[in-house]
Amino acid sequence: MKTAPLLPKTAPFAEDQIAALNTVISAASVEQRAWLSGFLAGVQAANDPRAAATPAAPPAKRIPLTILFGTESGNSEGLANAARKVASKLGFAPKVQDMADFTPAQAAAVENLLIVAATWGEGDPPQRAQDFYEALLADNAPRFEKTRYAVLALGDRAYAQFCEIGKRIDERLAELGGARITDRIECDVDYDSAANGWIDQTLQRLSKEAGATDTSVIHVDFARGSESDANAPTRAHPFHAEITEHVRLSGSRSTSETYHIAVSLEGSGIAYEPGDALGVVPHNDPDLAEAVLAASGHAGDAALRTALIERFDITTLTAKQAEDFGRQTGTDVPPADWLHGRQVLDLLERAPGKLSTEQLTTLLRPLPPRYYSIASSRKAVGDEAHLLVAAVRYETHGRQRAGVASVDMTERSHLDGRLKVFLRTNQHFRLPADPDRPVIMIGPGTGIAPFRGFLQEREAIGANGRNWLVFGHRNYLHDFLYQLEVQDWIKSGLLTRLDVAFSRDQPEKRYVQHALWDARKDLYAWIKDGAGIYVCGDANHMAKDVHNALLHILADQGKQDEAAAKAELDAIRRDGRYLRDVY
Amino acid sequence: MDIEQRPLSANERIKESSRFLRGTIAESLSRIETGSLADDDTQLTKFHGFYQQDDRDLRAERGRQRLEKAFSYMVRMRVPAGIVSPQQWLAIEKIALERANRTIRLTTRETVQFHGVLKSNLTPLMQGLAAINLDTIAACGDVNRNVIATADPSRGGLHEVVATLARDISEHLLPRTRAWHEIWLGEQRVAGAPVEDEPILGRTYLPRKFKIGIAIPPQNDTDLFAQDLGFIAIVERGKIVGYNVTAGGGMGMTHGEPETYPRNADVIGYCTRDDAIAVAEAVVTVQRDYGDRSNRKHARLKYTIDTLGLEIFISLVNDRLKTKLAPARPFKFETTGDRLGWFNEKDGRSHFTLYIENGRIFDRAQRRMMTGLHRIAELNVGRFIMTANQNIIIADIPAASRQAVADLLAEHGLDDAQGGLRRNAIACVGLPTCGLSLAESERYLPDLITRLEAEADRYGLGQTDITIRMTGCPNGCARPYVSEIGLVGRTPGVYNLYIGGAHEGARLSKLYRRDVDGDGIVAALSPLFAAYAEQRKRNERFGDFVIRAGFIAETKTGLDFHENLSPDLRT
Repeated sequence: MKTAPLLPKTAPFAEDQIAALNTVISAASVEQRAWLSGFLAGVQAANDPRAAATPAAPPAKRIPLTILFGTESGNSEGLANAARKVASKLGFAPKVQDMADFTPAQAAAVENLLIVAATWGEGDPPQRAQDFYEALLADNAPRFEKTRYAVLALGDRAYAQFCEIGKRIDERLAELGGARITDRIECDVDYDSAANGWIDQTLQRLSKEAGATDTSVIHVDFARGSESDANAPTRAHPFHAEITEHVRLSGSRSTSETYHIAVSLEGSGIAYEPGDALGVVPHNDPDLAEAVLAASGHAGDAALRTALIERFDITTLTAKQAEDFGRQTGTDVPPADWLHGRQVLDLLERAPGKLSTEQLTTLLRPLPPRYYSIASSRKAVGDEAHLLVAAVRYETHGRQRAGVASVDMTERSHLDGRLKVFLRTNQHFRLPADPDRPVIMIGPGTGIAPFRGFLQEREAIGANGRNWLVFGHRNYLHDFLYQLEVQDWIKSGLLTRLDVAFSRDQPEKRYVQHALWDARKDLYAWIKDGAGIYVCGDANHMAKDVHNALLHILADQGKQDEAAAKAELDAIRRDGRYLRDVY
Repeated sequence: MDIEQRPLSANERIKESSRFLRGTIAESLSRIETGSLADDDTQLTKFHGFYQQDDRDLRAERGRQRLEKAFSYMVRMRVPAGIVSPQQWLAIEKIALERANRTIRLTTRETVQFHGVLKSNLTPLMQGLAAINLDTIAACGDVNRNVIATADPSRGGLHEVVATLARDISEHLLPRTRAWHEIWLGEQRVAGAPVEDEPILGRTYLPRKFKIGIAIPPQNDTDLFAQDLGFIAIVERGKIVGYNVTAGGGMGMTHGEPETYPRNADVIGYCTRDDAIAVAEAVVTVQRDYGDRSNRKHARLKYTIDTLGLEIFISLVNDRLKTKLAPARPFKFETTGDRLGWFNEKDGRSHFTLYIENGRIFDRAQRRMMTGLHRIAELNVGRFIMTANQNIIIADIPAASRQAVADLLAEHGLDDAQGGLRRNAIACVGLPTCGLSLAESERYLPDLITRLEAEADRYGLGQTDITIRMTGCPNGCARPYVSEIGLVGRTPGVYNLYIGGAHEGARLSKLYRRDVDGDGIVAALSPLFAAYAEQRKRNERFGDFVIRAGFIAETKTGLDFHENLSPDLRT
């Protein structure tokens, strides 16, 4: 395996020293490098008169801590990394583990375990955590008698099965003999402060229980990419990016509205890689904000209006909100199925004008950002990021509803020409390091976005690997996103193969999984050639259907049974060759 | 003649190198990144019965949307004499719903066009037609197109005879290549099969399209004088004994190019019933050998005849016949229209001719044509006959089913009466799909007729039959130059107005107003209606009246079509 030399020739060492260092460093694991970096920093600090007040920590006596996360969108991973930083400061020897690469047996051998578990959609575990989760719930799961643990559950109250996975992991570990360090916390989409507070307290408590001395430890920064850049825009302090292009890609007769939106990142410090997402802090529809004001009896309150537009979530409705509202207004709490498809406004209208300003703002959740997979490569477009945004509109209970960010971005934001953005890196959705490796990109609908970035990147770096795109949508004529660019990619040879599935062009519904099945022979050959499989788009149906199609193809073409096919796909996933960015 | 010295048209090279119409169509179908075909293939697929088109309404927005043009295909069936069974009709409807734009378009060639067919749906569509023993071979292209015949089933055994002749001629002149079966049905080429050849059409096929019609006087519903080749049935003692042969009709011309012109066919002689196919082959092969292959605007048989001279042409045809053409027999045409509504046979059967505006079958709120025809077809009685006036005849309804059909017609709003202009109107497809169209046609004519019928009503002409035809371009698919009122698109919203064609289709019209819009058309025709109402002789047709009254000069042949215009129209 080729390893890129890390130290430049210009490093202040002799040539043979550089070579020797490169040999060690390039073969080192992330942890080894981190340790080394911490060690050297400690040595440096110890020898630096300015740092004399904070002597280097003794390398021994640190409490081992495993921080285990299961992530789909990256939030759990972000929290796990944040927890590691806190743990390091508190004198732990923390290790961050992805459930995708961990088994319950390994977890049971851990003494101190902090779990950050996301719940996805209607109460499902993140895809990559599924094996771990199932094994943990299985009858033959190992005992956790030597393990102290705590669970941080992430979820979204807009879904009925709120924090279901975290809850079940927490209960299961107790059943299996684990000792809770502290009660589980269940966090909604505005998890930041609650989650960080809980992490802090939990680790403090564990630190005392485990008898660690609160010594100063050299802080090792594991953060990657922009996370390390203190000035980089964040969710709390987004960059106000100028919209430089705003084009509707779907035809006027399309049943959907998808827009190509380019923003300038010049001066933002945002340095994304293909596969990353851009967080967008949206504004609510002013008309909806007015309606909420009116329904809550605060029409004309300009400050509240601004807050409703810019800071609060006024488009979802949770059971908790319904309970709180019922209590505060003395009205009946609507049954759970009433909530389905309804929003805060519908709730307020059950008892109009009954809430004080403070009661209203306490009732409302903060407005969460939305994430869009970036559809460009900086190597091709410079200081810009391209986004592919499908405007969400639907009607429920006699009201027109609109997706907050998608409609804000496609209809309103471009009026003042700015979007509030920040970067969310996604290390789990990267092109293969080897430019010669073939890739299979399955991205129906807006799922094509990151693959446009991938293809731009591969073109820019002159990668030789074959590229196969599988695209799908409803109607060929009106929904073939970036069709002219796709034609150019084929003409230039960048795109080796294209398959499409348009569901509404013929009597039988045809989706990408059908296109994959039709191409199974070649697909199998590509996989055997080491191709990376990438899936982007709808999590609820498409990703599952594609997953099943891949299993069927591996079984059919590999002439093996279902279990063997599943094992093969798992191996491909563990090998980092089956990556998903689904939502 | 210098025809041989001039270079062949590009289409001749495409045909020559097409390996008998295969070209690279199969490869074009596999290119899923585009809805279009390779350029040369777009010429060849016409021989397979379809045209590549794009939605011109959407052209402006597509570039911005990073989409190519909205390509789709117009697919035309081959169904000689336009007769299908109720079961075939149901299958055709299913194809239109599943593979096309959910409408069925009846054409002036007694067939069906499917519009808005995506490339990915072409193969299933062809296979769907093959499953009901229909095809699209030679429905377009430089070949003999769908053969049409008088559609009226009330002509008893006569109708059967002409329908059979239409089928026989169509089969006889069909391309022999198996390209269609290979590409669309996956037929394998047999090793060691005889070398392919096209003994009648030749390996480069005809110089241009070729249209054949058959009519039984007094009905000229097939507009014989607008056909390249026509057969006028000569009936003695209730039987067809033979046919007068017409040759050299054709509508197409180009604005501003007076060397192009519509031409009404000449009657060139008479043949017996048994010789009709031999005559068809002789005329086709003369055109094959003498037609202009350099200039496609000068390649129809009408130009071949005018270039050779009629007498020489006739002698060339006779040279290829065992039995020479005899002198033509007397005949008399009275109308080009369909007899709408019910016709009851003495034996209890009945027929209903259903008016279809512009031939476009779909469900309107008031006239639910698609569903109504579906329900009638489900009765599974009789036959469906598509007419050259773009209407449809539900034929041979047994007495036991007549009431059921009548009820279904009423239930779906299909038994209403039309005014004298509307029931005699024909429009081509025009915008947005036809690539040639310069102005609206099918989407506009109904509204214009509403205005014109209001004028006609003022003068008591509301139920007077006057033929009116509109095309979006001068190529004349709706045969506007042989109608009493013809409107030919110039640019969006602007038309040339022709009048004075014969009601029974034997005489060409004459340009009366150049570049008029809707208001201008109404303003020009209203005084003509007034004069006609006041001054017409008994049974005098509008087209004859405007000549007698001096509004225009009579057009005698295609060669004087552009002559004798009123002074303000001369250019």
